[in-house]
Amino acid sequence: MKEKNDYKQAKRYGMVIDLDKCTGCGACMVGCYSENNVPFKADETNKLDSINWIRIFKITNDKPYPETETCYIPMPCMQCDGVGKHGHPPCVSVCPAVATDYDYDTGIISQIYTRCFGCRYCMAACPYHARKFNWWDPVWPADMEKYLNPKVSPRMRGVVEKCSFCFHRYQQARDKAYLEKREELAENEYQTACAEACPTGAITFGDLNNKNHAVYKLKNSPKAFRLLERLNTNPKVYYLTSKKWVRRAGDNYLTHEEPGKIKNNMKEHH
Amino acid sequence: MNETPLIPAGVKRCSKWQFSLWMAAATAVLLWGVYAMYLIWYKGLNQTNMNDAYGFALWIWADLAVIALGGGAFFSGFLTYIINKNELKNIINLAVVIGFICYSSALLILAIDVGQPLRAWFIFWHANVHSMLTEVAFCLSCYFAVLTIEFIPLILENPRLDKKPFLHHLSHNMHGIMAIFAATGVFLSFFHQGSLGGVAGVLYGRPFAFREHILIWPFTFFLFTWSAAAYGPCFTILVTKITELITRKKLVKDNVIHLFAKISGWMIITYIIAKTIDTIYWAFVTAPGFGFTLMDFYASSTYNIGLLFAEIVICGFIPGLILITKRGRENSFLLMSAIILGVIGVSLNRWVMVLQVMAVPVFSFNEWYTYMPSWQEVATTVLPVAYGIIVISLAHRYLPVFPQEKELNPID
Amino acid sequence: MKIDRRSFLSYTTAAVLGGTAGSMLTPAPWKLIDDAAIWTQNWPWTPVPEDGEVTYKKSVCTLCPGGCGITVRLVNGRPIKIEGSKEYPVNKGSLCPMGISGLQYLYGPSRVTSPLKREGKRGEGKWKKVSWDEALAAVTKKLSELRATGRSQSVVCLTGSDRGTIPNLIDRFLTVYGSPNFIRSSTAQDAIEQAIYLTQGKQGTPIFDIENANFILSFGSGILDGWGSPGRLFNLYGGLKPTKTIIQIEPRLSDTAAMANQWVGINPGTETALALGLAHVIIKKSLYDKNFVENFAFGFDDWTDEDGKTHDGFSTMVKNFTPEKVAQITGIDKTEIVSLARNFARASKPIAINGRGQGDVPGSIDESLAVQSLNALVGNINKPGGISAIPDSNYAKWPEVTIDEVASKGRQQPRIDGAGSEQFPNTRFLLNRLPEILNKTKDESPVQALLVTAANPLYTLPDTASTKKAFDRIPFIVSFSPYMDETAAYADYILPNHSYLERLQEVPTDAGISRQVIGLAKPVVQPIYDTKHVGDSFILIAKALGGFISNAFPWNNYEGFLKETLKDQWRELNRKGMIEIENNTPEPLAYTFNTVSGKFEFYPTARNTAQPKNRSALPSYTPVPIEGDIQRFQLVLIPYDTIRLASNNIANSPFMTKTIDDTVLKKQTGMVEINPTTARGLGLKEGSTALLTTPKGKATVKIHLFEGIMPGLIAIPKGLGHTAYNKFLANKGTNFNDLIGPIEDPGSGLDMAWGIRAKLIRI
Ligand SMILES: Nc1nc2c(c(=O)[nH]1)N[C@H]1C(S)=C(S)[C@@H](COP(=O)(O)OP(=O)(O)OC[C@H]3O[C@@H](n4cnc5c(=O)[nH]c(N)nc54)[C@H](O)[C@@H]3O)O[C@H]1N2
Ligand SMILES: Nc1nc2c(c(=O)[nH]1)N[C@H]1C(S)=C(S)[C@@H](COP(=O)(O)OP(=O)(O)OC[C@H]3O[C@@H](n4cnc5c(=O)[nH]c(N)nc54)[C@H](O)[C@@H]3O)O[C@H]1N2
Ligand code: SF4
Ligand code: SF4
Ligand code: SF4
Ligand code: SF4
Ligand code: SF4
Ligand SMILES: [Mo]
Repeated sequence: MKEKNDYKQAKRYGMVIDLDKCTGCGACMVGCYSENNVPFKADETNKLDSINWIRIFKITNDKPYPETETCYIPMPCMQCDGVGKHGHPPCVSVCPAVATDYDYDTGIISQIYTRCFGCRYCMAACPYHARKFNWWDPVWPADMEKYLNPKVSPRMRGVVEKCSFCFHRYQQARDKAYLEKREELAENEYQTACAEACPTGAITFGDLNNKNHAVYKLKNSPKAFRLLERLNTNPKVYYLTSKKWVRRAGDNYLTHEEPGKIKNNMKEHH
Repeated sequence: MNETPLIPAGVKRCSKWQFSLWMAAATAVLLWGVYAMYLIWYKGLNQTNMNDAYGFALWIWADLAVIALGGGAFFSGFLTYIINKNELKNIINLAVVIGFICYSSALLILAIDVGQPLRAWFIFWHANVHSMLTEVAFCLSCYFAVLTIEFIPLILENPRLDKKPFLHHLSHNMHGIMAIFAATGVFLSFFHQGSLGGVAGVLYGRPFAFREHILIWPFTFFLFTWSAAAYGPCFTILVTKITELITRKKLVKDNVIHLFAKISGWMIITYIIAKTIDTIYWAFVTAPGFGFTLMDFYASSTYNIGLLFAEIVICGFIPGLILITKRGRENSFLLMSAIILGVIGVSLNRWVMVLQVMAVPVFSFNEWYTYMPSWQEVATTVLPVAYGIIVISLAHRYLPVFPQEKELNPID
Repeated sequence: MKIDRRSFLSYTTAAVLGGTAGSMLTPAPWKLIDDAAIWTQNWPWTPVPEDGEVTYKKSVCTLCPGGCGITVRLVNGRPIKIEGSKEYPVNKGSLCPMGISGLQYLYGPSRVTSPLKREGKRGEGKWKKVSWDEALAAVTKKLSELRATGRSQSVVCLTGSDRGTIPNLIDRFLTVYGSPNFIRSSTAQDAIEQAIYLTQGKQGTPIFDIENANFILSFGSGILDGWGSPGRLFNLYGGLKPTKTIIQIEPRLSDTAAMANQWVGINPGTETALALGLAHVIIKKSLYDKNFVENFAFGFDDWTDEDGKTHDGFSTMVKNFTPEKVAQITGIDKTEIVSLARNFARASKPIAINGRGQGDVPGSIDESLAVQSLNALVGNINKPGGISAIPDSNYAKWPEVTIDEVASKGRQQPRIDGAGSEQFPNTRFLLNRLPEILNKTKDESPVQALLVTAANPLYTLPDTASTKKAFDRIPFIVSFSPYMDETAAYADYILPNHSYLERLQEVPTDAGISRQVIGLAKPVVQPIYDTKHVGDSFILIAKALGGFISNAFPWNNYEGFLKETLKDQWRELNRKGMIEIENNTPEPLAYTFNTVSGKFEFYPTARNTAQPKNRSALPSYTPVPIEGDIQRFQLVLIPYDTIRLASNNIANSPFMTKTIDDTVLKKQTGMVEINPTTARGLGLKEGSTALLTTPKGKATVKIHLFEGIMPGLIAIPKGLGHTAYNKFLANKGTNFNDLIGPIEDPGSGLDMAWGIRAKLIRI
């Protein structure tokens, strides 16, 4: 299908995470918590009710000592473009109240907490478990409310939230550019909190459509792959690895299949 | 002034005391559910054992199941008013009452299930037409309105209400146009039963749930409508039989039951053949395209391949075959077995299409997700059962639900 | 018309129904429904953060010794986010999770918000808020009493560091007050520092120039698990990975090992043997730096002392450590040992480092000496990409103190911990020995007052139970902690320091060999609670004590003291937020060492060879004794570190704890890692609950099966099992220190325990 709306300036913000550099330190998680007013509870060990916009999975090659290898996979929202190239992420079309939407200017999937009424259909739809439900009212003990970032509204109980690619940072950068009568944002003007927090520089963020952005080149690297690509979710988060077993773990393969050599058999949607 | 009795003429009902006791028991269960419901509304969904992996759980299953079981209403309406199977007039009242109970319960469950009940109406106001859930919400609400309209004339037939001339005429007129409502109901039901199937079928991120599409609808859309029409009558028959057992009276003539059972049987058989084809296509074409084998989906001890066998063979082909054979449906043991298997079968299908969808890991490195409902979830799920018992008891006591009762149980 | 009950009911029903239907036609119900939704969108209990002008302030993080540069984002003067400062030379923008979550320490529920006086029993948690005057007066009174009764030496000041002006101020205080007992908590740095001192004659902070090395042979150092300056190392790792080879030697696949180019699984506690084995191969294959060894080293070949007695040199000694023998000891394949040695010696810029995990435990001096010897073999001393020591900062020049007789007498008393004594001549601080000494003394406790700052011994010292018992013997404990840590919770008085973001402090950091960075931590906010800078507290106490003590502190406050300390450097430091001091690296061919021989000493002459009797000073491998009977305790428990857990004096923030995997902590129970084959033998499965017992204690744990750990071992994370702080941390998991006791290195007195025997029983 031809895309009429595909005007010249359209951005597709995306991320490349180098798993060969990711040490699993968790700085990206903490950076995200503090940037995005993510709440916390006394017990966060049940990872299925713990709000994390970026979670880190630790996987192993399951080989016995001392051939064992491990790898960390940090997972923000994959900002899926979805079936049909653009605008049909698994989660967006299912939301009955348009509380989550695909932004054609940036490719970012929004989440509007004041609109969401907590049906959780989007969570069922997202294969990456990127969406988190506010099972509890958020509480900031002692004087911790004072550190909340005013650019990101705290969420109320009963709604879904997820990684926004730090959309407020985009808004701020765009506003600044507008005031300075500029049309384009420089690569470093809009960076996500997790990319900035990563102490090893494993996370690169930028416009996947822009040849001058680092992500453009990285995503085309032979080491690049995406998680669950075969589902046709079309994520804008790419990963780099030099390890074959990691690449294989990133998707589902029948025994005879080789990662990177699979043609997608799913029809495109509209 | 001589009061008209509340109880319809010509039928015998149990004593006030007996009835009160029975109602008290049901009400106690109901109140337990109401208390749990209060906790959930007041404290939020943290009262449940749902989590981010199990965002849909017991309630959504209950919702889907009651809607499927309430499918007897639209399908009997279709048969009675559109295909003109007049015998079914003798059971349609019950089907309507069950439908009313099921759909009001479904709406109530949805109101508990969402995280922000006070904003639940955003689904109408900010409707996303692409969402299956939007379709469900609209059709469900409209059909509930239709069922209410279908229920009203029956209520108005209560002897004391019927005495009021306005109500008497209202009831009469409503009967006259009931076919139009029934037709509307059939149309609405076709869509919402289907969209409930679509809810899972469109999830292309969930290989276990996802199905190929015909036009804009996934296969499950059609399978859900079909199965509701097929198995809904089983539930109507089951409730009839249970009522007969409790009241120790025959309420519906065998020929009516047998006709209904026969139609249900043919629907089940055709449905289960379609379901089998769907399963084979999904197992050998859809799933491998995502890198899954069929057995990957059944690799847990809870969700093993036995479940698929149970759904298709034990609760599909077996009841279907029993019901389409004259000797099967006319043997009361076989008939009962078949309708019970049918009710289980459709509930199982809904369970699988909600809970197994959540349980199957999509990442190769994830474990199967497990979930056990909290007591609050159980209580609120039992609530509609108690509510249903209360409504059916009241309806049976005060309304002429079973037109053949008088004839079958003459009072001397 | 008569209205009976029934018709009344009917009319009411009709009225209600009619009314409802009617009102549905008015806007009222719809407005109400809308209002209800709006209310849920603006719940008064969901905070709305105040917006305003955005500003940035630069400072330095002092949550750990890493000393990373930070940029704090403020909105209307309210700090809302901490990010790494890209220009800061130590970390170049990189921070660890602790540093990023720093605001949770500032505003957190563990802050001590005013001076506190203990009310109930020790550790009971009953406190009375007191004024600063009252708190300072109470401490002054106690200290002047002790001085008046000739017991000034019984006052012990315990700090987390001995570098920088705050520890120096405290040391100065003790000097004029009259106590030799300034104690710094020990870390691996103590052992490495001593090894450098013994081999190079240089007292100072060890420097590993990893920036300029390209082959890093790490004997268990968790360079990506919180070792050294984490901000610096993570930054280095990310930037230079392709150009560096990292070899990680340890029995568990740590995050460092996972990221290394090669992971070498080794029997725990046998690292020294491996180092000597590698030396053997390097010497045998003649791969060592002959120029360095021949011209600048002593004790490589056999030598004869003044008494005519011949001694084995290093090269002779390591002959015992054949690859075959070392393979047997370490469990590493013989050919792997040979190739490791070859690769190390042939690399253009190799460096060998040690200090297990985050380097919290000193370890044996033999191990540090053996690793130093490896560096010496490749000539990697005092040069770019190598090992050296920078002397303690010399910027602190204060007026000489005049002390009175009491002070002089007190100063001459031996240190309570035995550091610097005949037995441990080369060790400066021995905190680990303190509990045993206190518990052994029959009569009056040698410690009458303990003042603690930037340390949390009741959590970090091995054998928590006996440490607590020892503390019970100290009549007066004062904590200066800003947070309610375990030691503060056990104190008699808490005189809370400002938190690190409210505090002025210069921060000496050891970024690498070529330069020494001194940063300035500037307050980013006014103190939000009733706290006081610890420097100010000490100055006020000194002034209150009067006499010479008061005279030694002519400054009004710490700021005045700091400015005088830094003199002309203050302006630059204040303006730039840091100063860099060039370190004069000696010319490679002009190595000078302050040792007896004037050379690098493979044979460290200054080493105490009395313990065990007449031992050679050469590093040698004697298995570090491990506590516990092998019959009763068939497994071995080792600790592990991860950057997501802080195991030192400052504990995890709620955010850090939130990041912990559910394979490390499950609800309140900590998980231990064991190999599936070991688990099978014990009937344990993933998630099983088990009782973990060591000779020192027991704990209920859950099992996490991990292929990446050597069979027969149990690994437990450090940094959990707190009893104090707050509900976001307390009583979660087990403190490894509850399960292990210290093992004293006979030569240094430092703790060298690396593990303890243990058993696991399914429950
Ligand atoms: N009736 C009703 N109306 C509402 C609301 C409601 O609850 N009920 N909510 C109001 C509120 S609170 C909001 S925030 C607005 C939102 O809506 P607006 O503030 O009007 O945002 P847009 O103009 O759509 O521009 C934001 C665009 O960025 C994209 N985007 C990507 N990520 C994000 C993200 O993280 N946040 C946001 N906002 N957009 C993102 C979206 O796809 C969207 O297209 O809607 C408002 N309108
Ligand atoms: N991650 C993320 N961040 C976002 C967005 C996002 O989508 N994702 N969206 C961005 C966007 S587009 C927006 S508009 C903002 C929305 O963020 P906010 O503007 O914070 O939106 P609300 O949370 O609805 O908070 C509005 C608050 O205004 C107060 N209020 C309501 N009525 C009145 C009044 O009459 N007077 C006064 N003084 N106060 C009143 C209430 O306390 C209410 O809580 O969030 C932005 N930040
Ligand atoms: S990762 Fe999940 S939440 Fe994010 S866009 Fe994809 S489907 Fe939606
Ligand atoms: S939970 Fe919220 S965002 Fe998700 S589908 Fe429902 S209304 Fe939409
Ligand atoms: S992009 Fe922003 S919102 Fe998403 S995970 Fe990273 S920091 Fe969090
Ligand atoms: S901050 Fe970077 S290195 Fe650390 S876990 Fe996240 S992606 Fe990995
Ligand atoms: S490494 Fe240390 S100094 Fe650096 S940010 Fe972390 S805690 Fe702060
Ligand atoms: Mo907005």
